[in-house]
Amino acid sequence: MEAVADGGGLPPSSFERTGWVDVSHLIEAACADLQEGELIHGENFSLFAAMSALEIMDPKMDSGMESVGYRSVEEAIGDGAAPVNLDVQSTIDVMDHLLACEATWHKGHSLAQTVYSCIYLLQIERTSSHALLHSYCRIIHATCNALISAVSDARTHEEEDLFVMAYGLPMKREGDEKCLSILNSVEETINRQLRASKAPSSKKKILEGEESLQTNPDLEEGYCKAILSRLRFRKHFFHVLGCMRKPRGTGLELARKHIVSCLAELARVRKSSEFLTSTSYLPHGDDLEEKTTASGCNAVGFDVNINCRMLAPTPPRAIKILSWKKAIEYFEKLLHSLDVICSLHLDQMLEGVLHFVVQFQLSQPDLVARSYMQLLLVQDGKLFGRDPIIDVISRAAALPELSKNQEFQKTEFVVQLGKLVVNLLKVLCTNAAWQRRKLGKILQDWSVTSVQLELALEKEYKEVSNVSFDESSFIDLSKRLLAWAEEQTYWIASRFLVLGFELELYSSSEYCMVYWYMYIIYIRQLEIAQLKIVYNSDNSKRKGKKKRDCSKEAARDAQISSSILLLQCYICLSEGLAMMLAALSNEHKAFQPPNAFNTEEERFIQHFELLQRAHVPSHISYYLFKEWIAPARNAGVMKDNYFRDVQRISTLLRSRIPEDSEKLTEIRQIEQVAEHNRIAVNVINQARSYGSSLRVSFEFSQHPFFAVAVVKRS
Amino acid sequence: MGDPLQDAISTVQDVDWTPETNASPNVCQLQKLLYRRMMVGVNDGRFFAGSFNCIDKQGNIILQDALEYRPIRRSSPSPYEQRCLGLILIPASCRTSCHVEASLEEQLSGLSIAPQESTQFQEDGNNI
Repeated sequence: MEAVADGGGLPPSSFERTGWVDVSHLIEAACADLQEGELIHGENFSLFAAMSALEIMDPKMDSGMESVGYRSVEEAIGDGAAPVNLDVQSTIDVMDHLLACEATWHKGHSLAQTVYSCIYLLQIERTSSHALLHSYCRIIHATCNALISAVSDARTHEEEDLFVMAYGLPMKREGDEKCLSILNSVEETINRQLRASKAPSSKKKILEGEESLQTNPDLEEGYCKAILSRLRFRKHFFHVLGCMRKPRGTGLELARKHIVSCLAELARVRKSSEFLTSTSYLPHGDDLEEKTTASGCNAVGFDVNINCRMLAPTPPRAIKILSWKKAIEYFEKLLHSLDVICSLHLDQMLEGVLHFVVQFQLSQPDLVARSYMQLLLVQDGKLFGRDPIIDVISRAAALPELSKNQEFQKTEFVVQLGKLVVNLLKVLCTNAAWQRRKLGKILQDWSVTSVQLELALEKEYKEVSNVSFDESSFIDLSKRLLAWAEEQTYWIASRFLVLGFELELYSSSEYCMVYWYMYIIYIRQLEIAQLKIVYNSDNSKRKGKKKRDCSKEAARDAQISSSILLLQCYICLSEGLAMMLAALSNEHKAFQPPNAFNTEEERFIQHFELLQRAHVPSHISYYLFKEWIAPARNAGVMKDNYFRDVQRISTLLRSRIPEDSEKLTEIRQIEQVAEHNRIAVNVINQARSYGSSLRVSFEFSQHPFFAVAVVKRS
Repeated sequence: MGDPLQDAISTVQDVDWTPETNASPNVCQLQKLLYRRMMVGVNDGRFFAGSFNCIDKQGNIILQDALEYRPIRRSSPSPYEQRCLGLILIPASCRTSCHVEASLEEQLSGLSIAPQESTQFQEDGNNI
């Protein structure tokens, strides 16, 4: 035997009385004897599973590959990579680089590769002699903890799950609650130093007891200001996060004040870059835009690979830390998004809340903001942590009886509806792609609940006579609840289709079928809305409302009529666009789908399968669509004048709505789309009669999901 | 049927990969070492220990439930840092050493491990 090793430089073997035996020669000999393509393997071997094996020394898979960096934190510190006696300029660089790291983390990289590439953070205790650095590290640490807990509580991070992974990092640490007091005392000290630096020289003697940040008195003020703005930003940001998590939205007002201060400090931080670049000795030709610090110098105390051995769940790829300027922009956007969340009016109807969330999502807020949105919406299974969902539904469906009727509340479908509403609110806070997938799935739950409700209506009608409340009210309640549930189902369906535009899932050859489907959905929504009005008028007639209630009702009616008018606009627009596209395809052979990979019918199924499975609406098929578009001709589109109708209705709509800027923008956009398309239809028609050929394309320049035709001579 | 992924898996599994019956003694011997704990060293100084799962003609080895041992320069109590990796493939090109775990009895007999042709020579070497 060549080597019978029991240790000898190798890691220990697992049992006593065993050792390692060298088999390299045996392997060499056996491999030589093997046939090409032959394997030695056991019974449980599967080639398919073997394909997912981690390949050692593959730079894309093997995170443990020997890299140039340090192998452990101790080694890095021992090598002097993170000196604690930093001067003020270097301390500011560390702060700035940490900010850039934090933004990079929020944008979807792992904590270990970003914020915790900071060696000071990995061993905070080491920094305690440097009060400024220590306080900053502490608050960063506390902020990271607060964010991780918020995001993991909200669970809006399904596809961004790197955010909450903190394996192996020193996240649990005593004394997080003290971080603010430490920060405050440091801030106080710096503030005194700032005052001292401003004081005329005669007074300086009095203040001589104070230490200064550095030796050059001319620079003292600038450094003090740069540091103060950074510390204060951290303080206010930490307060914002704390206030926003107060139960029942009670901290929102205070949070807004902190957001204002936060943004002001951020502006000062940005401005401090002028001073900091002037004092640093930057090598010429370096691009300041790409730097991760305000001064442009590289920060000390960071090692990107320091945690690479903890990164089992992340691929060992190199990441690019955002530049300092980008990081500041990110935080500004985040704060604006948080401000939008804080501005949410907590006393509105569910419809308003849903609309608010949809509007909020238009600005494409990042993960952190979306998590806080969701945490505000749903707390302890209640809306804003204070309104039981059943009350929310009863208000939304205009069924005051529902919240009083305990017995009815306990019925299975009402409980189910409550769960669905909570789920819907949560789904609306996720990112667009995930949201669309989830919406498609929950559609089925909604439609199943509606069917259950319908069945229960029939069944319990018979049993209801021996129940304590009168049957006509039960039937009435169920009917109206059903109408409300359907209304929500169609709202979800339209959101599902619209998100497809946002995510650019449709090709221009498919616009026709998408608009056609949207048209069908809007028509159903209109029918339900009209049904609701009938119910409401029945109800008020029967009850003989008091005067005060009547005025409330009138306001409600006005709102309903404006939403009906808006729906009518949507109907005309989507019908017009579908017809226009169909006519172009029928007459000009434009927007014909390429047949190479799949047929039009297959694509129809791909896009609308989830809707059809949920019977939203039932009896819709590809053949119905084909039948519908077959006769479409441009002349017909001209004659039917869908876009003119839109303009007519929108004028009416304008007169109905109050000075609500948000709705007005929507109306203006719709009018623009209608106007552009009306002209386009005319042009196409004229060109046809003159026999000249045109090229038509569609773009979303006026409205997020209603396209505008662009006609060019070809 | 119809799911292409499922089809692909079943095709892969249908293929008969068992070595031919007239395999060489070396191959038979290596086959006996399957499922044993194997320790493979690679050229950057790390070791991987796991259950021996598969080897091909080129000498690429697959280990199951593998642990990675990484030497630390400034040593703490243990000179190695370890972490769990699961199923890994070690290409022959980076392999520098290969050991299997054996009981003392097996080590003493020495027979079952060494390649056949050289057994005699190896034992002689040991005696000296």
